[in-house]
Amino acid sequence: MMAMNNCARFIILTLSAMWLNVFFVSAGFATTSNFPLENIKFTQDQASLQRGAKIYYDVCRLCHSLKYIKYKVLQEIGFTKEQVDLLRGDIPISASLSKTSSDKMLNSQYGQVPPDLSLMAKARKHGPQYIYTLLTTYSEKEGVYENAVFPGIKMPDALNVANAIDESLKQEIKSKAKDVTEFLLWSSDPRAAVRKTIGTYVVIYFLILSVMLYFIMKRVWSRLDKEK
Amino acid sequence: MKHVISWVDKRFPLTEFVKKELTEYPTPRNLSFWWNFGSLAGIVLVLQIITGIFLAMHYSPVASLAFDSVEHIMREVNYGWLIRFMHSTGASAFFLMIFIHMARTLYYGSYRAPRELMWWTGQGLLLLLMATAFMGYLLPWGQMSYWGAQVITSLFGAVPFLGDELVIWLRGDFTVGNATLTRFFSLHYLIPFIIVGAVVIHLVALHSVRSSNPSGINLADKNNIPFHPYFTIKDIFGVSVFFAVYSYFVFFQPNLLIEADNYIPANPMQTPAHIVPEWYFLPFYAILRAIPDLVGGVIAMGVSVMIFAAMPYLDRSKIPGGARYRPFYRVMFYLFMIDVLILGYVGAHPPEGFLVILGQGATFFYFGSFALLPFLSKWEEAWLRKKGLPAEVEALLASEQVQQLDRRHSREDRRKNSTETSGDDGNE
Repeated sequence: MMAMNNCARFIILTLSAMWLNVFFVSAGFATTSNFPLENIKFTQDQASLQRGAKIYYDVCRLCHSLKYIKYKVLQEIGFTKEQVDLLRGDIPISASLSKTSSDKMLNSQYGQVPPDLSLMAKARKHGPQYIYTLLTTYSEKEGVYENAVFPGIKMPDALNVANAIDESLKQEIKSKAKDVTEFLLWSSDPRAAVRKTIGTYVVIYFLILSVMLYFIMKRVWSRLDKEK
Repeated sequence: MKHVISWVDKRFPLTEFVKKELTEYPTPRNLSFWWNFGSLAGIVLVLQIITGIFLAMHYSPVASLAFDSVEHIMREVNYGWLIRFMHSTGASAFFLMIFIHMARTLYYGSYRAPRELMWWTGQGLLLLLMATAFMGYLLPWGQMSYWGAQVITSLFGAVPFLGDELVIWLRGDFTVGNATLTRFFSLHYLIPFIIVGAVVIHLVALHSVRSSNPSGINLADKNNIPFHPYFTIKDIFGVSVFFAVYSYFVFFQPNLLIEADNYIPANPMQTPAHIVPEWYFLPFYAILRAIPDLVGGVIAMGVSVMIFAAMPYLDRSKIPGGARYRPFYRVMFYLFMIDVLILGYVGAHPPEGFLVILGQGATFFYFGSFALLPFLSKWEEAWLRKKGLPAEVEALLASEQVQQLDRRHSREDRRKNSTETSGDDGNE
């Protein structure tokens, strides 16, 4: 499948339409705070998605809901029915993933209700890179937390980046941040993988069809030369 | 089958219609691929209507449900993501096809007599398309949808005396809200069918004056070939290439032209940092902002869209072939295209520093090129004639005269025949 994908990409790359894409992607990679985002690639592999889902479940879910993701949908990233049942307890399988704290409590603590994360990876420019960089750029100065991407952020340092001095611990946190970002990227567009698979076939189909139609066209038009 | 057709033919001019408009419809044989974009725009219109009807089956035009229902389509409806992305990408594709179609008309001077009505019905279609696209953009009820509608509807406040009342009347409320969403949905469903009607008028006009062609004159009969099969296969080939490119964007880059902010549900209490319209409105939006005064800006924006209608009168040159045989017009055409791209760039960015001046300069050039055209085209023609027209152009002009004569004769013949027959009737 992967080879197929690369092959299609290569053909598509040659399409002149690509300039548009290149133009848009290269046009600026900075957020409002102008802090450069880390340009890491996301692979959407199942192991990483599952680890990310667990981190969301243990950490983020305290304050952030994921209202467009239902428990049953988690099976699409490779969780078995039993694993999902274990996660949900007595919550119905068709229920959405909701946060565990109440709005009232969050409101009194942070002054606002933390946003739903279902679409976060699409709702920011360069969403996944934004989320990853935000999670990994917390710092602490005399007990006050600050974030490089989002100055004045209310969200606490969820992955404990600020106090990680040890290099191996830092790496571990970074890989955690990547996993949870992978999961949020999937949540924002769970049909992306299917879309790309189908898309490869559709684009190849039309390219072949175009070539065939080109020759049919040539043949039909050649009748005009015979007449003369 | 034969019997069925002859049964129909006695009651409806089916065979005659197919013959006249398709299998024997004379089309200039020298049409380039630039003449494919009209039929492509037609295909996209059909595509938009079909995907739109299916989207409407699952969408809720209610402020509290609209955003969720789009996500429902994206995640739970079978292939809902495909229908939705085809529709959102299709909107951009529609404008791209129309803009290329218009640019071709401008380059080859296809708007000139006798095709003024084609150009004006096309202008009407552009306005209807813009209205439809603008209303459709509100429906996902994201931040950019909401604030875009807020900004654009507020522009109607520039109308003297009635402005404020008009804005409330359009929105159905003091701000954009549920009432606005439901009426926009209703109109977004209605206008496409008006567009279909207008396209029919556009095509009837086309089949009466026939296609223009790169030479800029009406070709002699021997240089016209039947539409079918030559141009049916050429259009089908064009459609297939279009679908290859379109599918790439639908399946691999569907979010490329959707603002990130539109994945945040509409929030009347929080204005996004930059409110940007969709790419196809950017040049006109830049013109709106280039004029420091609101009323002036709104007028300038309106005129910038409508001024194309004046082209048949602004262009005074009688040299055939549009930009092909007209060096100055050609330079002007390309400069105008670059100017529109600059305006688009300016429209996409916040108006700060140099961009303000750039936007004003580009706006000045935009209107300046229309203002200059009557003088430039006259002067250019005089200069070309003085210099001596290329043999190619002389040949074209001569052939055109011959044909006009031919046509006049045949028309007179027909008139004579008809008066004779009517005379016969009178005798009986």
